[in-house]
Amino acid sequence: MALTAPQLAPGLIPGLAPGLVPAHGVGSRGDLPLPFTALVIAAVAALVISFVAIGTLWREPRLRDTDGVLLPRPVAALLDSRSLRAVARALAAVLTVWTLVALVLGPDSARNPVPHVVYVWLWVGLAFSSMLLGPVWRVINPVRALHAGLLRLARVSPDLAALPYRWGLWPAALGLGTFTWVELVAENNTSLGFLQLLVGGFFAVSLLGSAVFGRTWFDHADPFEAWSRLLGLLSPLGRRHDGRWVLRTPLHGVNGLRGQRGLVPTVAVMLGGTAYDGFSANLSWSTFVQTSPVSSSLLKTATLLTFFGLVAVTIWLASVVSVRLSGEPFARSFTFVSDIAPSLIPIAGGYVVAHYWSLWVYQGQYAWRLLTDPLGTGADLLGTAGLVPNDALIQPTLVATIQAVSIVVGHLLGVLAAHERAITVLDRRAAVVGQVPLMVVMILYTLGGLTILFAP
Amino acid sequence: MRAFRALPYAVCVLALVVTGGCSSSSPDPGSSGAGGVVSTGSVKRLAVTITGTTVTPAPAQVDLPLGSTLELVVTSDHDDELHAHGFDVEEALKSGVPTTLRLTGKEPGSYEVETHEPALTLLTVAVR
Repeated sequence: MALTAPQLAPGLIPGLAPGLVPAHGVGSRGDLPLPFTALVIAAVAALVISFVAIGTLWREPRLRDTDGVLLPRPVAALLDSRSLRAVARALAAVLTVWTLVALVLGPDSARNPVPHVVYVWLWVGLAFSSMLLGPVWRVINPVRALHAGLLRLARVSPDLAALPYRWGLWPAALGLGTFTWVELVAENNTSLGFLQLLVGGFFAVSLLGSAVFGRTWFDHADPFEAWSRLLGLLSPLGRRHDGRWVLRTPLHGVNGLRGQRGLVPTVAVMLGGTAYDGFSANLSWSTFVQTSPVSSSLLKTATLLTFFGLVAVTIWLASVVSVRLSGEPFARSFTFVSDIAPSLIPIAGGYVVAHYWSLWVYQGQYAWRLLTDPLGTGADLLGTAGLVPNDALIQPTLVATIQAVSIVVGHLLGVLAAHERAITVLDRRAAVVGQVPLMVVMILYTLGGLTILFAP
Repeated sequence: MRAFRALPYAVCVLALVVTGGCSSSSPDPGSSGAGGVVSTGSVKRLAVTITGTTVTPAPAQVDLPLGSTLELVVTSDHDDELHAHGFDVEEALKSGVPTTLRLTGKEPGSYEVETHEPALTLLTVAVR
């Protein structure tokens, strides 16, 4: 993560010159470049996986929504229980109120916990918990709860809507793109005024959207619900066709997602944003930006948009070649690209793990030091003021291994998901040839992702 | 299985292209990269000059073994703030006056050293 504002760990600044206001920020520590050996091993693994896959994979659709190992009844009952969900919602509500208090009344300095809550816990933490447990944000989303609460207070149906909703995931793609821009490009993105505007704007848009379109807004248009739902497809926890809880492969979740409006741009933003984040840490790039006569914000914004566009265009070009190879008309590429877009989700998940693992582990713990003192008064309300983040999980060798493995596993799952989808939707004889362009694009993404991690 | 016999070659070519691509576009991460780094025992010294938005020597990665110290002497042609991420060091820079930071590597990782007005990255310190 490359937040642009000055970044300091508070309370550890003995040499701070008088007159310098303590700056804000999260994530002052970055990962060491991926070792060359890890790069080569991972790249070779990705290539071998792809070649072997073309020749040897199954020829008939194989993933069924009846698959999965049933969870024991008590565990399933616990997952479905109202009380577990109520507790999760209550905790999320407490954290939200706590954060809003710090947002409105807290100090405008590095002692304020809001940047950590927004950029580490909400963004990165939600990604990790969704990949582990499924679409958790749907359950604990405080804005969804606020909307439901307001409707209940007004004694009207929870399905109240003024207009039908029909934009699919497009608003979510826009929202995710905006948030990525805020995180990676916007100046002063950890200053209190900026965050007040950001959070206030998000609440306003969400409440307005849900007032007009009803709670469908949260199902489709809310960026964090989309982030959590799409990455949550990779979770080993899921529901079978009959609604019972099962343990299953990430492929089953991904395969259950059907093409829909706005899915391609949403996936492009997820993948492109993470890739840009890694890319922008490259020193040659920052040297170029800071010596360029063009404004650096403009240059970064344009590059971020280019990354989004590159993902969308390459995957679409691949699907054009695919449908042509299988002898179908050009126009079919637009539905086909939507059909195979879900298979990019594992790759996006792999990127997220590789890029944010150490940030999540380290700054995720660090956030407790700040949350304990939301108003910057020196209070220690949670008893975590002296917490020293445990660094056992961010040792360089471990981090490099996790990065290489997560990228390769993401690639493997992506290839398998694309294969299953290709033999499902394409003519059977054409499917094997038809998936080659997709695989080429996936290899490019994976090698690109590895190179980004490798270049300092 | 002709394709599989060609596989190792394809892999080698691709790996070469990938690494060639990186090393041409960015400094080699294996060496300490930055020109001008002078080592004396466990202390490394580096002098950096800022002229407008130009940083000399060009921003690069400086390797710093755990426990070693980097003495960074920064001279800028304008007043600024100097900030070493992760080392939690922030100093005021006076125009034309060399300012020395002593950075000791404690936690492995990669850390940016930057100025704030304008925002410039001077170098990254790779502690390992």
